[in-house]
Amino acid sequence: MTTGFLRSEFFHNYKRSTSAIVGSGLMLFFAACVLIGPFLVTQNPYDIASLDLMDSYKPPMWLEGGDSRFPLGTDGQGRDVWASILYGARISVFIGLVAMIASCTIGTLLGLIAGFYGGVVDSVIMRIADIQLSFPSILIALFLMSAVGTGVDKVLIALTAVGWVVYARTVRGSTLSEIEKEYVQAAKVAGLPNHKIIRKHVLPNVLTPLIVIATIQVGTFVLIEASLSFLGVGVPITQPSLGLLIKNGFDVLFSGLWWTSVFPGFAIMTLVFGINLFGDFLRDELNPRLK
Amino acid sequence: MMTNDTQNPLLAVRDLRTYFHTFSGTVKAVNGVSFEIGEGEVMGLVGESGGGKSVVGFSVLGLIDEPGKIEGGEILLDGQDLVTAGEDRLREVRGREISMVFQDPMTSLNPLHTVGRQMDEVLRLHTKLDADARHQACVEMLESVGISQAAERLKAFPHQFSGGMRQRVVIAIALLARPRLIIADEPTTALDVTIQSQILKLMRQQIADKGASMILITHDLAVVSEMADHITVLYCGNVVERGKTRDLIETPSHPYTRGLIDSIPDTAHRHDRLMQIPGSVPDIRNLPKGCNFRDRCPRAQALCAQQEPVLTKQHATLWAACHYPLKPGETA
Amino acid sequence: MNTSNTPMLEVRDLKMHFPIGGGFFNRLKLGGKGVRLENPVVQAVNGVSFKIGRGEIMALVGESGCGKSTVAKTIARIHKPTSGEVRIEGEDIAGYGFAEMLPVRAKMQMIFQDPYASLNPRQRVRDIVAEPLLEQTKTAQGRKDVPARIEALLAKVGLNSEHAGRYPHQFSGGQRQRIGIARALSVTPGLIVADEPVSALDVSIQAQILNLMKDLRDEFGLAYLFISHDLSVVHHIADRVGVMYLGSMVENAPRDVLFAKPRHPYTRALLSAAPSIKEKRDKEEIVLSGEVPSALNLPSGCCFRTRCPFAWDRCARERPALQDVGDDQTVACHLIDEPERDTA
Repeated sequence: MTTGFLRSEFFHNYKRSTSAIVGSGLMLFFAACVLIGPFLVTQNPYDIASLDLMDSYKPPMWLEGGDSRFPLGTDGQGRDVWASILYGARISVFIGLVAMIASCTIGTLLGLIAGFYGGVVDSVIMRIADIQLSFPSILIALFLMSAVGTGVDKVLIALTAVGWVVYARTVRGSTLSEIEKEYVQAAKVAGLPNHKIIRKHVLPNVLTPLIVIATIQVGTFVLIEASLSFLGVGVPITQPSLGLLIKNGFDVLFSGLWWTSVFPGFAIMTLVFGINLFGDFLRDELNPRLK
Repeated sequence: MMTNDTQNPLLAVRDLRTYFHTFSGTVKAVNGVSFEIGEGEVMGLVGESGGGKSVVGFSVLGLIDEPGKIEGGEILLDGQDLVTAGEDRLREVRGREISMVFQDPMTSLNPLHTVGRQMDEVLRLHTKLDADARHQACVEMLESVGISQAAERLKAFPHQFSGGMRQRVVIAIALLARPRLIIADEPTTALDVTIQSQILKLMRQQIADKGASMILITHDLAVVSEMADHITVLYCGNVVERGKTRDLIETPSHPYTRGLIDSIPDTAHRHDRLMQIPGSVPDIRNLPKGCNFRDRCPRAQALCAQQEPVLTKQHATLWAACHYPLKPGETA
Repeated sequence: MNTSNTPMLEVRDLKMHFPIGGGFFNRLKLGGKGVRLENPVVQAVNGVSFKIGRGEIMALVGESGCGKSTVAKTIARIHKPTSGEVRIEGEDIAGYGFAEMLPVRAKMQMIFQDPYASLNPRQRVRDIVAEPLLEQTKTAQGRKDVPARIEALLAKVGLNSEHAGRYPHQFSGGQRQRIGIARALSVTPGLIVADEPVSALDVSIQAQILNLMKDLRDEFGLAYLFISHDLSVVHHIADRVGVMYLGSMVENAPRDVLFAKPRHPYTRALLSAAPSIKEKRDKEEIVLSGEVPSALNLPSGCCFRTRCPFAWDRCARERPALQDVGDDQTVACHLIDEPERDTA
């Protein structure tokens, strides 16, 4: 299997695509940060005991007054910005991934049902999707958050409520063309019940385009979560994501203490940039129409 | 070497090689194809899928795109080579001297413009007629391909025509600039048999009227035998046999041609089993040494595995690339 | 060839109408008295009747849109018929639900047109072939025998056990069609509905598949409902031929009778339009003008009259019924009553 992959056209094109290598490199870097980041730093920014107010607002280490213990400086509570980013990226990536998986599961299921059964079920699901799409996603999230309150779980609910639509629409479209295919008719003639036809014949053949959507959506979700947190309706202060770090730093940005918000912002930018670069490569590779 | 009956051919293709460089290997879609067409002649280019017949058509029009490339050979129109000609010259040739009719009429019609506008455009590009004369020419052309109320129909969009009518429009457009050669790639394959016979009849009559030549590309030997003066049979990118239609259909000398003809079910008399060519077309990226057909050929011998056969003169008007060709009356 | 008096398949006055006009909300119309749901339909099949005996091959021919594929798919219950009877060995299955259909599926299977679309690209060959069989096999012992059965089936259609582990894309069109045939055979059906089984294949491969289908008929006593637009293929394989036009059967006769003396003008036109590699003899030429009308809006009376060279006023008033003209041949045309109008 491994040698097969290394000799495949996909891998061949991957090797020749700079943006794919840079994108996947950035994604790997963030994956490493999320997985082992906290073990690389000595300070746990959420452990009050490890904070020292004497260390507050230290600039990055290469500036005057910097401290080699805090390479990117500290914030008002004396938290190491670098450690905060590593812990914050964990929360951001966790929210992005979980919301993506939830959106993908719910959206795919609804898309399959709408496309396969058609009729009233289809009309109702797709009209809800249309209504949803006619509002900016951040606005829907804001509405939901003000209704159900804040917290990581609420952010996940809000993102999923926004995110399922794109899967439902894509899957419904692919399902409509799949069920016209003769192998689905053959399965009917073989006597398979609908749930088996959906599971064995439709689902495996509608998944490929979702890989691209899912990849890019993680980036989008990280951004939406950051916006929500920045607006103060996202994650609680006890679980500061990258977005909340920016918000906290923003309050003091104009006092010249730029590092508390610029570095987290830069982290979000590189993360999303990496995801989008790789997502674009996947789109080119997996879209048969461009081949 | 390649003598033909025509003295000064309109189009002469010599040793054409068109390759596609793909990830999984080089596809030699056309690998040394030669043929000639005289003025007013209809040549059938026949073969199964993967034979390279459509690629020949696209090569003549200079429409080979990446990852394909014409690697060698000449395409001589009136003795002038099109392979080495620039894009400007090719644009002038396309539509003006050579035009094309495709299997799916929707690929050659623009769905956003009326039929009239698309016809007018051809005339504007290739003639010096004024607007009134162009309109008149379009109306006459539509009428001559059997579309009634032509002036009204010029204002219609392609989707407002049925499949058969659309193919008539495409033929009208192909004939508008009075080209000397028409390349028709499976022009009736998508049509029903009663519509097919209407369109074939129309094409035969229009070509005779206008004195044009035609390359008819098809997988259907029956269609080609009703239309063509000469037939060229392709297999795996090579010409395996060519000659006058009746000679080739009645006494083919290449075992592949024989097999193709025998595998057509015949309504005149009935055999319990059809003759069949065993196996399937080999992977064109990985062709066997020697004759490409030998793995499926009932007459293959040791020589066929060693040496690639070249086109040589056979009985009547036939030329075949085979070490052990069939004589008239012989069966495979 | 009949071993019993009950035909393998009998279809009576089969109708299949498809609703069109988009989704639920698009069809909601505000009428005079509140909201109503519109139901425009395409009359794809309009009262078709025929029989197929055991081991008999019956072909349905006609041009695109004549409803021949819809007949096939309705019999195979991909569509549920609008009305009419479909009797498999005497049992009317037209109104059957999913559970009642399952045992019927063991008697009737289908072969499809497109060898590239009829096999799921993500299934291995052995799973494709086993699919109908596994639905019929509910015991553990039965399931244990499936792999051996699959191997035997693959051998029967000219493939080997090595092929069982591969995916469809590793096969040529002809081989894929063999896989589709093995799948249909897996439940040892008595009837196979074959929807244009060779029209997507190259001519040399087409001959292989036709020969295989004939061999299987001889070996297992299969009956086929063979859908095709190609008269020469039909002539080769069929015992009986039904000609369809715009959802109706216009002529039905034993093969040799139909090809020797076609009676319906449409059948005659089809026969004379078919290209042939033989040099043109002075065969009767009926050339049709115009094209097939839309099934949304059928002509009154005889549906062929808009293209028929003999049509007169009676054809617009009265829809001709199939009538017996001897030699086991039935024809739906008013010319049978008024032969003096046949001027060809």
